[in-house]
Amino acid sequence: MNVGSLSSVAIGAELAAGGLALSIPPITVRLRSPMAFLADQIHSLYRDYEFVPADAYVDIDIRMLPVNGLRRWAGRQVQFVVDGVTPFEPFPLEHALPMFEWGLNWVVSHRLHGHLLLHCAVAARDGHAVLFPAWPGSGKSTLSAALACSGWRFLSDEYGIVALDDARLLPFVRPVALKNESIDVVRAFAPEAFIGPVFPETRKGTVAHLRPPEESVRRGSDPAVAGAIVFPDFQRGEGTSVKRVPPAVAFLKLAGNAFNYEVVGEAGFRAVATLIRSCGAWILRYGDLAAARAALDDILQEAVR
Amino acid sequence: MTFQADIHWRIPTGQRLVFEDFDDGIVAFDTLVGSTHLLNVTAAEALAIIEAEPGLSAQAIHARLLSRLDLGAESLPLAAVDELLWRLEDLNLIAGFIE
Repeated sequence: MNVGSLSSVAIGAELAAGGLALSIPPITVRLRSPMAFLADQIHSLYRDYEFVPADAYVDIDIRMLPVNGLRRWAGRQVQFVVDGVTPFEPFPLEHALPMFEWGLNWVVSHRLHGHLLLHCAVAARDGHAVLFPAWPGSGKSTLSAALACSGWRFLSDEYGIVALDDARLLPFVRPVALKNESIDVVRAFAPEAFIGPVFPETRKGTVAHLRPPEESVRRGSDPAVAGAIVFPDFQRGEGTSVKRVPPAVAFLKLAGNAFNYEVVGEAGFRAVATLIRSCGAWILRYGDLAAARAALDDILQEAVR
Repeated sequence: MTFQADIHWRIPTGQRLVFEDFDDGIVAFDTLVGSTHLLNVTAAEALAIIEAEPGLSAQAIHARLLSRLDLGAESLPLAAVDELLWRLEDLNLIAGFIE
């Protein structure tokens, strides 16, 4: 059963009672919260996600709770509680959804050590996945959102989850967090796309979330084989340029981009080596999404030749 | 006083290096500490020599490098090898000891 098969009110009742156990492969997350507005937002952004019985085993248990007591002087706030622990200071109450999304990312980066976790977006076309390893500000979320809205299969805007045994990529399909001007850029690029509420003045500026394509959510458990590694470099007003990255240099760039390379050790080194040996690597400098998409078509054509 | 000739080189105890050879360089993973290094051919060969024959001096390593890489001493002087060995030591990839 998926979230969209129930009404927003029914989802709110689930959240307020035993919780909503969302299947977000490769993990299951139980979310509990009494806040009806958060239920509305979850209902719209996670519409196509399956959920399992609330009392099922879950990997991560999250509660988003309004904060009472001494912190009232700061206005109404929300607390992120994961498995009974509160790792962060509370956020303004209306920022509950961004806090849930960031908090879940944080938990995943600290726990999913059975895989190599690259800080990268991943999208696939014709069965070939492209990794977009990058640090914040390089435009990987915006680029992956544009690809998701262009018929590519969307796997993640934040994590390249690499299987340690065969270096296949596990999808981690989540709403795409768009920040600041990228919200309007994606709206203009794909007017038909569903973007949730805009949250101004968060800790990362203005944030809104793009609902991932239904087909990508449906294929959330299907691993993908990497076809190319593309380091995106968004430069406002610049033209598009593509430059090949030599393999040993690409190796260091990719390994240095992982959240848990030191944790997984030699298995991570071998996984990166497998990726580098099976894929070419490029730097894509771009200032325009349509041109970047066209350049990616060329890269993929060369990569799988 | 210690002279260069007194120093012999070995791989640190417990260390194992894993190599991946690419067109533009060799990537080495140090399993002891989990660090990754980009090496040129000379550095990778020096490590391989030291791993195969622990306890060699810089002069002996230099001679083996010239042979393995098919180079003359004018292309790879002893001073360059000596400098390389100390750089590898800085990275904890090799350790020097005095006999």
